[in-house]
Amino acid sequence: MRSPRWRKVVRDVWLHKARTLLVVLAICVGIIGSGAVLNKWALLRRVTHGEFSASNPASATLRTDSIDATLLHRVRALPAIRRAEARRTVTASARTEAGWRTALLFATEDFAKEIGVLKPEHGAWPPADGAIVVEASSVEFSGASIGQPLEIQVGDAAPVALTTTGIARDVGLAPGWMEHVVYAFVTPATLARLGSSASLNELQIVVRDPALDREAVRRVANEVRVLVEDTGRRVSDVDVPVPGRHIHTAQIDSLLMTQGAFGLLAMLMSGLLVLNLISAMLTGQVREIGIMKAIGARGGQIARMYLGLALGLGLVACAIAIPAAAVLGRLYAQFSADMLNFDITGFTIPFWAFGIQLAVGALLPVLAAAVPVRRGSRISVGDALRDFGILGRGDNATPTLLRRVGGVTRPLLLSLRNAFRRRQRMALTLVTLAMGGAVYLGALNLKAAIVASVDLLFGTQRFDIGIRFAKPYHPDSIEAAVSRVAGVARVEAWSSGRAALRRADGSVGNAFPLTAPPADTRMLSFDVVSGRGLQAGDANALVVNRRLIEDDSSFVVGREVTLVIAGRPTPWIVVGVAETGPSAAAYVPRDALAPIVSNGGASLAVVASALAGPASHLDLVQRIRSDLTDAGIEVGSGQLLAQQRRVVEDHLLLVAGFLGVMAQLMIVVGGLGLASTMSLGVLERTREIGVLRAIGARHRSILTMVQVEGLVIAVLSWLVAIPLSLVMSVALGDAFGRVMLKVPVILVPEAGAVLRWLAVVVVVSIAACAWPAYRAMRVSTRTALSYE
Amino acid sequence: MTQPLIALRGVTKTFPIAAGEFTALAGVTIEIEKGEFVAVVGQSGSGKSTLLGLVSGIDRPTRGEVHVGGTAVHLLREREMSAWRGRAVGIVFQFFQLLPTLTAAENVMLPMDFCGIWPTRERRDRALSLLERLGVADQADKLPAALSGGQQQRVAVARALANAPAVLLADEPTGNLDSRTAESMLELLAGLVSDGQTVVMVTHEQSARRFASRTVTLADGRVVSAEQVAHA
Repeated sequence: MRSPRWRKVVRDVWLHKARTLLVVLAICVGIIGSGAVLNKWALLRRVTHGEFSASNPASATLRTDSIDATLLHRVRALPAIRRAEARRTVTASARTEAGWRTALLFATEDFAKEIGVLKPEHGAWPPADGAIVVEASSVEFSGASIGQPLEIQVGDAAPVALTTTGIARDVGLAPGWMEHVVYAFVTPATLARLGSSASLNELQIVVRDPALDREAVRRVANEVRVLVEDTGRRVSDVDVPVPGRHIHTAQIDSLLMTQGAFGLLAMLMSGLLVLNLISAMLTGQVREIGIMKAIGARGGQIARMYLGLALGLGLVACAIAIPAAAVLGRLYAQFSADMLNFDITGFTIPFWAFGIQLAVGALLPVLAAAVPVRRGSRISVGDALRDFGILGRGDNATPTLLRRVGGVTRPLLLSLRNAFRRRQRMALTLVTLAMGGAVYLGALNLKAAIVASVDLLFGTQRFDIGIRFAKPYHPDSIEAAVSRVAGVARVEAWSSGRAALRRADGSVGNAFPLTAPPADTRMLSFDVVSGRGLQAGDANALVVNRRLIEDDSSFVVGREVTLVIAGRPTPWIVVGVAETGPSAAAYVPRDALAPIVSNGGASLAVVASALAGPASHLDLVQRIRSDLTDAGIEVGSGQLLAQQRRVVEDHLLLVAGFLGVMAQLMIVVGGLGLASTMSLGVLERTREIGVLRAIGARHRSILTMVQVEGLVIAVLSWLVAIPLSLVMSVALGDAFGRVMLKVPVILVPEAGAVLRWLAVVVVVSIAACAWPAYRAMRVSTRTALSYE
Repeated sequence: MTQPLIALRGVTKTFPIAAGEFTALAGVTIEIEKGEFVAVVGQSGSGKSTLLGLVSGIDRPTRGEVHVGGTAVHLLREREMSAWRGRAVGIVFQFFQLLPTLTAAENVMLPMDFCGIWPTRERRDRALSLLERLGVADQADKLPAALSGGQQQRVAVARALANAPAVLLADEPTGNLDSRTAESMLELLAGLVSDGQTVVMVTHEQSARRFASRTVTLADGRVVSAEQVAHA
């Protein structure tokens, strides 16, 4: 670097190390924030799409009576079918350290499956008779380990200890730890040992044409249904997922959307900080710009110097931030993959992702610097040497109101006025900090909205315990037996089943659960969105939830629909739409459903407890099970409503948790902005500080002056953040509602959250001003007064 | 009849101030020939620095014309002005105004770098030669902070001469120096004039008149006298 002008640039950077470091840090935060999200997205996208496709997921699943080799052969012979396999899924209980948990056992004749391919991870594969292989995402939840026994109970059969011989992953399943379910693989012979039927009853098919859409696949599935029914079997369910779409796509989309948006926001805030810093840097260089122009430098040459500086700082930041973003992106991808039950097999981030980060990291400071550089390089020599600065004539920027402020001490007044001297810089700092606050408050609002929604959702379910029976029993006998158990406040016997909409062309839609309480139930109250809930006297009334309507728009209030239940088409009138959670569901009167699915019997009981606390509830479940068994009623499983709530919350709060992390990142950026603004303020006012010292200002006065100035900006940003958080809350609530669960948008931030943010912003301000205040205290009067 | 090197014709310069308008120069007409050493004197606020600002193109006249070396400076656009100034005018400031992060030699090379008149490989040699001519060659690789006031001002003069300008403009060049160093600086400028350099110097020091070939006295923005100095 022979040219003196570039030597000047390099040495200026070195001379103002702290400021340079702040600029580099600001860019780094932006790149790390957005780069980590981009890297994670690139890795996760490849894995989710690649691994999920590689697992060869089923195009459709039909539930029927036992499937034999002849039936499989006939299905495979259909021209539209590429593959067909059979399996059985059994709901059981597994004993974990925390007690008995719901378990789903998957059994098949041949584990060398070509549909929903399973990936052995540790130990033996496939499971031998009498052994069990646990699904990877359930290992921690179940506490299973290879070589150790895992106790499994099916219905009221005696529990059997099966040896855990391996761990395998099924990427088509939602994570077991999140669903609070122990997934495991066993042979049909093992199922028989557990007391369950060993026959296979789920027919999985893969269509020959991979380009078929959901409707086309449904037509093929319907063709298979007809074939199966022609053999005299009954098809209870036909489930056709959206082709190529993972079970957690909504969560992936939601996460990626919010993460992407906040990555961009972090980058934008980092850009504002860089803009602020470079403006300030140029303000400090005004006189030198004037001198350079006086000795012949043209505006373009000056601009190239400072834009080159910005580019250089961007490249240095890239050198630090891109590797850091890669590490974070990989960690984050691993974390997210665990959330989604994928295993990251390759951590190679694609070149295009690095390219985008390099381009953004290098260009962001150049773009941020463009406006102040243009202004700085165009300043006339006269103005520059008279040192009016780039941003105006200092004190005139003080708002009129502040000039009239009375009744406060002079140093405090000086701090207030100082805060407004560089209005543009103050505005940028304030906006950066306020955006951090808005995200912080927005994230808390969303979390509160999610909890409120879950409250609302579970508030409609006025019971504590759900008991599922191995087979249907008469409702009166169930209610009589349960109500005798001490601690039971109220009980209702409900019926349940699965249904699918039959369309005009004869095909059926995806199966969804039907819940059938008594029409005059006191233990379920609907949050009705339109129409009405169930009423006493309803015969074939159907209430659907909002998610079901999103899957199939045929459900319109007032319209008659045909549902296929237990293989039989039955007519229903849609009477209402309710908000009942993130999964498709519908409700009908017990007396209407029970005769269809169970000869009038009920399959579950919901119990309101007179006791409080989870331990009492767990104890009550055990006592109910025991008493019912004594009464000859075979219990399948018992679950606390609180456990179900936890499952739903785990799913939904994932996004809010991420927003909290982003808010912390933005608070760091905001703090950096405030620190830089205050440092520059102290630097620019060195002479003033010297004068104050000369006329008797003590260390404490100078320290207070700087800290109060910082607090003025911080408190203003706090005020700005409150209305800004409303916009953030609306946007987040809307985005969240579109992909996850419709949540009420809470427009007024919770007072506690607002005060917490005030406390955070005050702490950030004190921390950010600590170094500038220390610098100001260290300014000697002699140095300050000779400062040029 | 030859054109004067510098000609100000009917130049008025006003500045907006809170109270309305301040007239720094009012209808000033001055002509300066090549090789002259003109000292512009006057009390503080008389308009002498404004005059220098107009000649260097740092400021523009509100009315009137400014010609330097045949260039109508008042008509130049801002982007043309810098390039012209770098080639045609060298400026020496009261507070030296060396760039603190560049060594003495690099400060001298900087105008050459901006204007590109001298080939890159010759710039350092020329800078060293100018520093030697001004008696500070041994300070070439030091930063300004390591130099005395007098040494800094000599480096500033060397920088002003870097592109061999037709005119050297000095704004209070001795204002920040002790009397002995100031005397030496004035001798140095006089020496440059004797080598053919045209120098216009703004000063409030009466002693500076001894070195100038002509003194222009300003008061309240007007020329009140312009007299040749008879040297012994």
